[in-house]
Amino acid sequence: MAKTYDYLLKLLLIGDSGVGKTSILFRFSEDAFNISFISTIGIDFKIRTIDLDGKKVKLQIWDTAGQERFRTITTAYYRGSMGIMLVYDVTNEKSFENIKNWIRNIEENASADVEKMILGNKCDLDSKRQVSKERGEQLAIEYQIKFVETSAKDSLNVEYAFFTLARDIKAKMEKKQEASNPTPRSGAHQLRANEQQRKPTSWLSRCNLL
Amino acid sequence: MSSSSVEDIPDQCKDLFTQDGVLLKACIGRPVTDLNSIGMLCIVQNVDNTKCIEWRPNDLITIDSDTQDQEWAVVNTIGRRQRTLSGNITSDYATARARIIRIPLEDLKTFRVTRNNQQMQFSTKPGVWQSTFYFQHGNAEIFVAYLKNHVKTAKTRHDRNTYVVVEPNVESQVLNKSFAELDIFTENTTDVVWNLVSNFKQRPYETTMEAFSKLTDIVYYGNEATNGKRDVSEEVADLLTKSMSALEDATSVTRNDEYEVISVKPTLPPRPSIPRGTPLSAEKWEGLQDTEGRVTEVEGVKQLIFRGGVAHSIRQTVWKYLLDYYPWHMTHAQLRVLHKKKTEEYFSMKLQWRSMTEGQESRFTEYRDRKSLVEKDVNRTDRTHPFFAGDDNPNLVVLSDILMTYVMYNFDLGYVQGMSDILAPLLLLLGNEVDSFWCFVGFMEKIASNFDMDQAGMKHQLLQLQQLLTFASPELARHLAAKDSGNMYFCFRWLLVWFKREFSHRDIMRLWEVLWTGLPCNNFHLLICVAILDAEKDSLISRDCGFTEILKHVNDLSMCLDVDRILSSAEGIYHQILSAPHLTDQIRVILGLPTVGTSTSSEEVASTSQADNGTVEDSDHSLYGKDMEEGTLKYDGIEIYIVSKTVWALLS
Ligand SMILES: Nc1nc2c(ncn2[C@@H]2O[C@H](COP(=O)(O)OP(=O)(O)O)[C@@H](O)[C@H]2O)c(=O)[nH]1
Ligand SMILES: [Mg+2]
Repeated sequence: MAKTYDYLLKLLLIGDSGVGKTSILFRFSEDAFNISFISTIGIDFKIRTIDLDGKKVKLQIWDTAGQERFRTITTAYYRGSMGIMLVYDVTNEKSFENIKNWIRNIEENASADVEKMILGNKCDLDSKRQVSKERGEQLAIEYQIKFVETSAKDSLNVEYAFFTLARDIKAKMEKKQEASNPTPRSGAHQLRANEQQRKPTSWLSRCNLL
Repeated sequence: MSSSSVEDIPDQCKDLFTQDGVLLKACIGRPVTDLNSIGMLCIVQNVDNTKCIEWRPNDLITIDSDTQDQEWAVVNTIGRRQRTLSGNITSDYATARARIIRIPLEDLKTFRVTRNNQQMQFSTKPGVWQSTFYFQHGNAEIFVAYLKNHVKTAKTRHDRNTYVVVEPNVESQVLNKSFAELDIFTENTTDVVWNLVSNFKQRPYETTMEAFSKLTDIVYYGNEATNGKRDVSEEVADLLTKSMSALEDATSVTRNDEYEVISVKPTLPPRPSIPRGTPLSAEKWEGLQDTEGRVTEVEGVKQLIFRGGVAHSIRQTVWKYLLDYYPWHMTHAQLRVLHKKKTEEYFSMKLQWRSMTEGQESRFTEYRDRKSLVEKDVNRTDRTHPFFAGDDNPNLVVLSDILMTYVMYNFDLGYVQGMSDILAPLLLLLGNEVDSFWCFVGFMEKIASNFDMDQAGMKHQLLQLQQLLTFASPELARHLAAKDSGNMYFCFRWLLVWFKREFSHRDIMRLWEVLWTGLPCNNFHLLICVAILDAEKDSLISRDCGFTEILKHVNDLSMCLDVDRILSSAEGIYHQILSAPHLTDQIRVILGLPTVGTSTSSEEVASTSQADNGTVEDSDHSLYGKDMEEGTLKYDGIEIYIVSKTVWALLS
């Protein structure tokens, strides 16, 4: 079978219920928006392959759902995520405050240097805004995480966010690879990609080393 | 953002669904210069509640100059909103506006999807494709899926990619009415179409192609043939698709029959094919009550419902019994007293949270959190169904009120996500706040463990499911285990809300009422899971699905499942398990059958199946409760055990 990608990245969307995680994912994977979206139950993911600096990068993006109590089961699917989008809703103060809790949660459950990004979603709803952009930026500086305001509805910065996160992970992977494998870089990506083809789950364990 | 808020400007109409990346390829009456431009295809609701498909060129999207200084350009969709813009832009905007294409859903006659989901065409006149759109992302099927929420369609006979609109602008009263009419239709067994259809269901092989074409004629000329009863055509269209897939099945049956012997492990006896029955009718239901309204033959009633479900016209009544709101033995008079009492009880609980002051609420975090969860989920529950669609829909308030009152009824459990999905079909059917609440209480009683704080109930069921699958479909169970999926977590959604997300509204009513009977054994819903998975066995194994593909495959089955076929095969699997010589106590416990002290591990059984063979004869007699009569019936030459002969008498 022909190789269809150079990298496979596993990403995760987390944040309070209703902040727009599923809508962001739908916008990114289908370039569409649906006002009567259904709440997410259980687990799901979407795939989109993007072109990043000449490489085919396949993004497998996991949409998380539900209250705390469902997490024991759903986390089985999150393991080995390489990048996490922390989403809050700019019209909901509480969802913004909870970002700190989500970060703590990641620190407890994900590998230490998983790439993160904060998204302030629904920025199209300016009249209902409760969290200013400055506060979002401030929080991001505090945690040294990239930040952008998005709108799944108006297709604002959604692409930008995923491309940025993917690029940062890719850069980090390449750096790691160079460090651990000082031989000439020839065919290094190739090797990795082939390995992924044979053993689809192998990247799960690998990225825990990241 | 410093730009003026778009939300301040009242929208004349509302985008229900938007798909970006759609090119206009062809459109009758439009200059060539308009073609091949990229835009957005939307489903729009007008102020008068009519809907239309609208394509908007991307020129309507301008770069917001206020935000140019940012790291990235902020793009702001102005759509058709009336914004004051400087002269130049306004005229551009006006030309762009003139290029908008609108197709009122009322006028839409046919549409089709071609070129591997990349192209969609719409027609408002027979024989002419008015407009053609190209989907850059090759995902036209998503647009079709959402469009089908707003128009009723049927697929055509000769071209499976073409959809005929049988009814535009589905509205709530229309739909409610359609349920009633639908029932008249199914009840009237003299109806030529229905006979045809039921023949088809029972004898797909024998039903001739001639009959088949008659059926399709009714789909297309249904209005003339049935005096404009549109729902008939809709129902038939539905059955038509079903019978089409039945035909497909018929051709693959031989393949299923030749099973492979994988190891020396004992295999299950062949699966009997057990036909579904007809729904419990109003006449039969009346006949089952005594003069004062008591239902005495409870087991018999449940058997009937298990076999064929409940006719829609009496669901409102029968569901109250099935959900333990109305006790079977009560007279009409006693039920009236009960109803009054339950109504008062409901409203006093409702008052408890309704009378909470803002101050109280501000100091009651746990309550506030639950309230906000309820609000968020109510806004995302079955909103595509006409009953819950639209802003300020009063039914949403009722949905929310019932869930909030349930928080007071059971504060320990409170509100857990998934509950709104459980309640919605009940409210939709019963229409009454108090009745829906108590039926919801009854349903929650059956599935409360799904919502345990520590998820012990869900984990336990997933384990039981794994054990059942290992017994009934060992090859698939082995495959799943090898792919790191032995925990069955991918069935989480199925179990949490009892398949609510997997079936259409009509089918979920049927499935639930059958499951509520508690027949033919405990945990029959787990056998439903086994039946669905077993049907997917070949594709899961042959495509060598891994951990993530398994989840994807299972999630994608949503809305593609045939409820009658699944019920029938789940029952078949039940009988296979029952008559398996190597049946273990572990499986007996899950299904609530008396244990006989056989080994519990199927591995062990492999070596001792000979010995087990001897004991099975005796144990079979204790499989059913003592007050039940057992017997055997022949289907397709296979003997199966039947719980009660009286029930079969009732059926025929
Ligand atoms: N105005 C606006 N509404 C949004 C946006 N993103 C999501 N929503 C709405 O917010 C609600 C919750 O979104 P959803 O994606 O289900 O949130 P999730 O629980 O985080 O997955 C839905 O009604 C969406 O239509 C956005 O960017 N702008
Ligand atoms: Mg979601």
